Amino acid sequence: MNQVFAIAATTVGEAIRRRVLLIILMVGLAFLIIAPSLNELSPRGQQQTLIDISIGILRITAAILAVTLTVYLLPNEVERRTIYTILSKPVHRYQFLLGKYLGSVVALSLMIGLMTLVVILAFGIQQQTWSLERISPLIKVPFMMIFQMSLLAAVSMLFSTFVTPVINFFLSGLVWIFGTLINPIFERWGAQGEASDAVTLVARIAHYAVPNFSNLDIAQGAATAGATQIRGSEAVHMANGIVYAVVYVCILLVVAVLIFDRKEL
Amino acid sequence: MANAIETHELTKAYTVRGGRAFVVDHLNLQVEEGEIFGFLGPNGAGKTTTIKMLLSIIYPTSGTAKVLGEEVGDINIHRQLSYLPEKPYYYEHMTGMEILDFYARLFRMGKAERRERAERLLQRVGLADAGFKQIAQYSKGMQQRIGLAQCLLNDPKLLFLDEPTAGLDPIAHIEIRDLILQFREEGKTVFISSHELSDVERICDRVAILNRGVVKAEGKLEDLLAGGRIEITAENVPESLRDKVQQDGAIVSLHEGRLIVDAPDTISTDGFVDAIRSAGGKIISIIPRRRRLEDLFVETIAEAERGGSVQEVSG
Repeated sequence: MNQVFAIAATTVGEAIRRRVLLIILMVGLAFLIIAPSLNELSPRGQQQTLIDISIGILRITAAILAVTLTVYLLPNEVERRTIYTILSKPVHRYQFLLGKYLGSVVALSLMIGLMTLVVILAFGIQQQTWSLERISPLIKVPFMMIFQMSLLAAVSMLFSTFVTPVINFFLSGLVWIFGTLINPIFERWGAQGEASDAVTLVARIAHYAVPNFSNLDIAQGAATAGATQIRGSEAVHMANGIVYAVVYVCILLVVAVLIFDRKEL
Repeated sequence: MANAIETHELTKAYTVRGGRAFVVDHLNLQVEEGEIFGFLGPNGAGKTTTIKMLLSIIYPTSGTAKVLGEEVGDINIHRQLSYLPEKPYYYEHMTGMEILDFYARLFRMGKAERRERAERLLQRVGLADAGFKQIAQYSKGMQQRIGLAQCLLNDPKLLFLDEPTAGLDPIAHIEIRDLILQFREEGKTVFISSHELSDVERICDRVAILNRGVVKAEGKLEDLLAGGRIEITAENVPESLRDKVQQDGAIVSLHEGRLIVDAPDTISTDGFVDAIRSAGGKIISIIPRRRRLEDLFVETIAEAERGGSVQEVSG
């Protein structure tokens, strides 16, 4: 594992210095800082609106960061020949890939953590409150978002073993949109038989073939301010979501390793 | 002596429109332990592809290869070898010390050992004062030296160096060349792919010249470069002497009394000198010219392009 951690640590160091990622992060942070003023424009002007806006910005920024960070991880290493010096050492290809992935997950977690901190500060200042009771949704949702983004990063990592970064960017983006917006609908069709048999079958296949990112969402109602404790059902939902993400990530990484292992570099 | 590298019918082919393109074509190569072996060839000859196959970075289409007595693909052999790719890139945000620490971690070395080796190697490659500078601030020569330092972290038995002196200034060039010569004194096997023929001629024991994936010449340098030429220059030589000095293999030029004879070094110079002197000519110089690797390279590739066979010199 020493090799994996060494590669992961280097990946983190490189990721947090990449200009394009820093720019995306800065734009995300800027939006998060001005989110409270957007809330004032809202007719509802409620706490919930501020949370929704902040989490929405956080989610989109994190997804762009996850894909942008991961699509170039392997191609850059090959193009710059760094991978040759690494693989000429006693390092298996799976260790390299795993190290790269873990590094990207750590870098993503740090970025999501930083954005979460800004969201909490902006929320606290605007709402004039620092009670844990009120800010807890702003901790729980980003926490689950780390797993969501880790899953998205694994999708990009898999694609990066056989497609170019540009194609990977669009493919990963499509998977993200499908898995976030459309897959929950397919899941309902597949499960409840609301549609015809053929549609149900297609819906089921699509539902299992594409990760369902909404499994890692905390229900908006459960994430509202005032939810002091993680309620029992919510804890189960979060645990299920984490298990789902970990299993899915493992499957994606195994497939990625199988492809990468035979890849001509 | 045992072979550090051994390939048998090693082949790399790609499917292209209308057939197969052979990048490396049934390569049979033996590199002995402890020698510096020059692997030469024009661009696209298959040199880097061969190295990549020996390092399991790409996989052969057919044939076999052994490195340090083990089949390629066994990751454990990588503990005893190193690779310096052409135009390498090192993470620019890291310092020289951090780079060496990173590569040492890949060998699962402990922290104290990593530090000790990194400091010693920075000293050895002349970067002791630049160990805490970021790679981004390194010159090309410094980057090449840190590359060699990372190659030495595991005290390898076998080093693969791909164009180690390409694009370096003369001073850096000499420094890298001297470092490679030290490797031989330490008993390491060095496999160099290079276009810098003057370097190869100075440091290599044996060479192979590759063209379109096929070895066209192979052997000890002293054997391959045997058979130099002699250039004799004289003045006040009458035109009538031209036919007398013309011999097999000699190129004779006589213009306005100035005679230049370029002949194989197997000829007797006495005959020329006597003939010139007796005709009233004056010998200006007799210069033996050793055959250069560049000459051999150009001749071999030109002959290969004309469809010539393999030149093999045993020994």
